Amino acid sequence: MSTFGDYVRKRRMTLKETDPQYSLRKVAAAIDVEPSYLSKIERGEQPPPGAETIVALAKELGEDADVLLALAGKVSEDLQKIIRKRPQLFAQLIRGLKDLPDHAVLRLVREVRDGQW
Amino acid sequence: MIEMKHDCLAFSFLDVHPSAKLTVNFQRTLRIPDDDKTYPLPPGLGMFPLRHVDDYADTIPSLWLERGGVMLPMYQSEAMWLHFSPGYDSERGVSYPFALKVAAGKIDAVTGKDWSNGLHRGPQDYMVAPGQPWLDGFCVEKGIIRQFVAMPLGAGYTAEEQITGKGEFGGLQIIAYPMKRDVFERRFPIRRQDYVDSCMMDFAVARCAAPAAGGMGLAPGGKMKQEIFKDPFDFTDWDLTQSSRCFVHIANSLMWRQITKQAPPTLPPSAADYTRYKLPWFDYYDDSLNALDGSGILGSLKSVLGLAKEKRESPLPENESCEPGNVVKLAPKRVGDQVRDGTF
Repeated sequence: MSTFGDYVRKRRMTLKETDPQYSLRKVAAAIDVEPSYLSKIERGEQPPPGAETIVALAKELGEDADVLLALAGKVSEDLQKIIRKRPQLFAQLIRGLKDLPDHAVLRLVREVRDGQW
Repeated sequence: MIEMKHDCLAFSFLDVHPSAKLTVNFQRTLRIPDDDKTYPLPPGLGMFPLRHVDDYADTIPSLWLERGGVMLPMYQSEAMWLHFSPGYDSERGVSYPFALKVAAGKIDAVTGKDWSNGLHRGPQDYMVAPGQPWLDGFCVEKGIIRQFVAMPLGAGYTAEEQITGKGEFGGLQIIAYPMKRDVFERRFPIRRQDYVDSCMMDFAVARCAAPAAGGMGLAPGGKMKQEIFKDPFDFTDWDLTQSSRCFVHIANSLMWRQITKQAPPTLPPSAADYTRYKLPWFDYYDDSLNALDGSGILGSLKSVLGLAKEKRESPLPENESCEPGNVVKLAPKRVGDQVRDGTF
């Protein structure tokens, strides 16, 4: 079972325990895909859907879209735009942050750069 | 480290002490008349917007990028003042002390000497916050400053151009040094919360209510009553191994629009109009501190109007004298913010 599919299924089943609106059929309808397709995604028999569907699915399940996109190995379009604008800078930044603990990343702030004067 | 937070420069030295934080903001204000009078402190009319120069790398002059820092917009002949607000240590009931050096066009605003990193005494080239809540201009005499007034570089009015003959840098330069941790902890031991220290008060007092074409520098404007206080601490109390500095570039309104695609704030009212409506001016005193003598170098500068008369120019759109009648007296206050504001 895929990490993405597993995560989505667990989340949907948890919600369904208290609300029948989260049945496979109803969630599939809400994000405009066939129930069989969503079922295959949840079981890992199909790769994750496109970014737009993932964002819709995240919204339906009350999940963070960036988390679901990351689980699907994708990056949201707005982040792609930001990175494409300054690819070297952001590649360097992300690599520099990869080993930092969460609290350090969360405290990451933007320092005013001093130059030559 | 310096961050930009809500149009303020936030200095922090967390490696020195958790309370070693200082906020500096740049207040819009009315330009006091450039005449023979000495005026009280004008109000704060809101903060100038600040932007990282790095965010506009494609549209700013290359020298600005090289110098780093931040930028703000000013109209020609608009005035500003700086507000210093050190972080408050509630356990000790004091704000963390900082030594601050401010220059305009790399001319020290206290001594008139060329910029250098580090702190000096004899003459003292820095201010101490808390103690010095604001700086409105160049220290020209004991207890008197000449207001910071924005003028275009190249026109010869800025302090930098009058002293060095060149308009090379413009803008403002700021460097902050924290007090050494051990000195802070020794001088200000942890106290009962209700203890009021009359010596070291919280001065979080607010008064609110050849660069590229378009670069601005600060020139000496009208005279104002403001004391630059002597450092009440030992020189060795300052941690000279720790410092953060920032270049604050000043763009004229046209340049600001071109760079940021945003409008600068509207022009403040004239001093005469402000006074006609009986809005408050301010006077600040602190009996526990001594004022520095003025700088001979800065004292010999010509004001914008004085120089304009020699040049037969009229760079100030209006300069009507006024008689501030509503002067609010302010003193250091320990708890809460004392507000220098009017009824707008």
